[in-house]
Amino acid sequence: MSTSNSDQDAAESGESLDAHELVEGQGPPAASSGSASSSGMFGSSSGVRRALGTTIGEFNGKTCARGETVIQFDQVDKAFGSNVIYKGMDLDIRLGETLTIIGGSGEGKSVCLKLMIGLLHANAGRVLYYGEDVGEMDAERLREIRMRVSMVFQGGALFDSMTIAHNVGYALREHTDMGDEEIERRAAESLTLVGLGPDTHAGIMDQLPAALSVGMRKRVALARSIALRPEVILYDEPTTGLDPSNCNRIARMIRKLQRELGVTSIVVTHDMTTAWYVADRVAMLYDKRFPWVDETEAFRAIEDPRVRDFIEGRTS
Amino acid sequence: MASDQADKESPLQEWVTNLGQTINGGIKWSGGMAVMAGQALIRGPRRPFALFDISYQVLQLGIRSTPLATMMALFVGMILAWQFGEALTAFGAKNSIGTVTSLALVRELVPTLLAVTVGTKMATGMTAELGSMKVTEQIDAISALGADPIKKLVWPRLVAASIAMPLLVAWGNVIAMLGGMLISDTVFDVPAGYFYATYIDELEPIHYIMSQTKALVFGALAGLIGCYQGFSTKFGTEAVGLSTTETVIAVSVLVLIADFALTALFMPVG
Repeated sequence: MSTSNSDQDAAESGESLDAHELVEGQGPPAASSGSASSSGMFGSSSGVRRALGTTIGEFNGKTCARGETVIQFDQVDKAFGSNVIYKGMDLDIRLGETLTIIGGSGEGKSVCLKLMIGLLHANAGRVLYYGEDVGEMDAERLREIRMRVSMVFQGGALFDSMTIAHNVGYALREHTDMGDEEIERRAAESLTLVGLGPDTHAGIMDQLPAALSVGMRKRVALARSIALRPEVILYDEPTTGLDPSNCNRIARMIRKLQRELGVTSIVVTHDMTTAWYVADRVAMLYDKRFPWVDETEAFRAIEDPRVRDFIEGRTS
Repeated sequence: MASDQADKESPLQEWVTNLGQTINGGIKWSGGMAVMAGQALIRGPRRPFALFDISYQVLQLGIRSTPLATMMALFVGMILAWQFGEALTAFGAKNSIGTVTSLALVRELVPTLLAVTVGTKMATGMTAELGSMKVTEQIDAISALGADPIKKLVWPRLVAASIAMPLLVAWGNVIAMLGGMLISDTVFDVPAGYFYATYIDELEPIHYIMSQTKALVFGALAGLIGCYQGFSTKFGTEAVGLSTTETVIAVSVLVLIADFALTALFMPVG
């Protein structure tokens, strides 16, 4: 994918202090779960992470090394009335990877994301985060999870009565004791990371979401989701409705955030160009489960006609 | 063929099935509202108290409804005074116009009519706003950001509606009296001062309590219905319209039912 200079310049400007800290602190992946610690794991040196305790690879006394399973779906059943979405679905998400979920419309890709943060609950089976069942968590524990696992909604879901600064700073205002100035500075940092910093986009902090283009709204939503420097970001069709240039830009953002913030990303998409570009692994939803999950190159080589039909857009 | 006929319900069976579904839906709806009310009452009073959000909603729901409340109260006061005045004149008792109108206005007409009009306006506004937020996943986004939508969205509206409605009814009581006074003086030649004296003389503290209690309950009902309907909006813009329409019906019906219940409760003492 090509790179837009202005975007990259803005995104990599000196404003993103956390990003610099993270890149420097990233280092090699930890060898085992036991070796992970709040100071040694990539991304853990972030100022926001330190303030919030949202350390990567460590949660509630449990550790997880890069490449180990951080989120696990174990024999999950989910149905809405008579509409069965999942039947005995299994899926593992590894720390630090970008997993792309593909599948037909209405098959339940977004449901998968909502199950991960407890917005929906499984009818049977378990959704595990660091081995803890999300479905069994109380409100306080869910709040902790949602500080660590953030979601970018399909339409952005920005709060239309709030300014961009308030949207991006919402989680900081909710979960920290930071003052208004500090929150605004952090919000500006997050916007800079997605190429919408106030240095390059004057006045953006005070604008309402309605004043922005669809592509910009999606990037603001992305900025909002990274404000707490989460460990995992869930993207629900991040490129839907965007022109190719904006698709390209969002895809690069996803890669960049994984690289610079060390986040684990789960991307639900129909857009195969984006899917191939961002993914370390690809999972295809078919017949209420994920029968095909593999590294990107291996996935592209799958000969099964059902997979080929989907990825090549064939109708037969 | 035979099995098709066997499968086909008779009109009576169909009617019973529909009735059962309607009752089931009503129970589910009531249960859902009760759960939301419980959640709001448990989670709402915790720190932070969202005083800014509550005062903003009081402004939105209350102050901005003042013109409508004023107009409603003025006209209901004038109409009732005129109706009673005509009847009383026929019996040569037009001087009792203040006495007769006061109880009907304060205990019944002002709180109920304001609840049906202003309360419905409040509730539909909430349903439309929250329904749109639901459709655009903003409510899910609040949850996903680790905040509590009940505390953030429902609690301030519920409290604000419960504050705004009694204030509007108190204001409406004054305006309705002024409306009655105007008609009494200009149409029936009963002096405004005399109307005022007889009007106030008839009222006891319990009547004001009854009026304000009704307003509080109606306000809370409007807030709860408006929020619940917004939160239970299905997907699509059409669903927002449907939820809003249902809110109008629900508020109107429940206000009247609650009015009957409260009247029955207060009648022995008031």
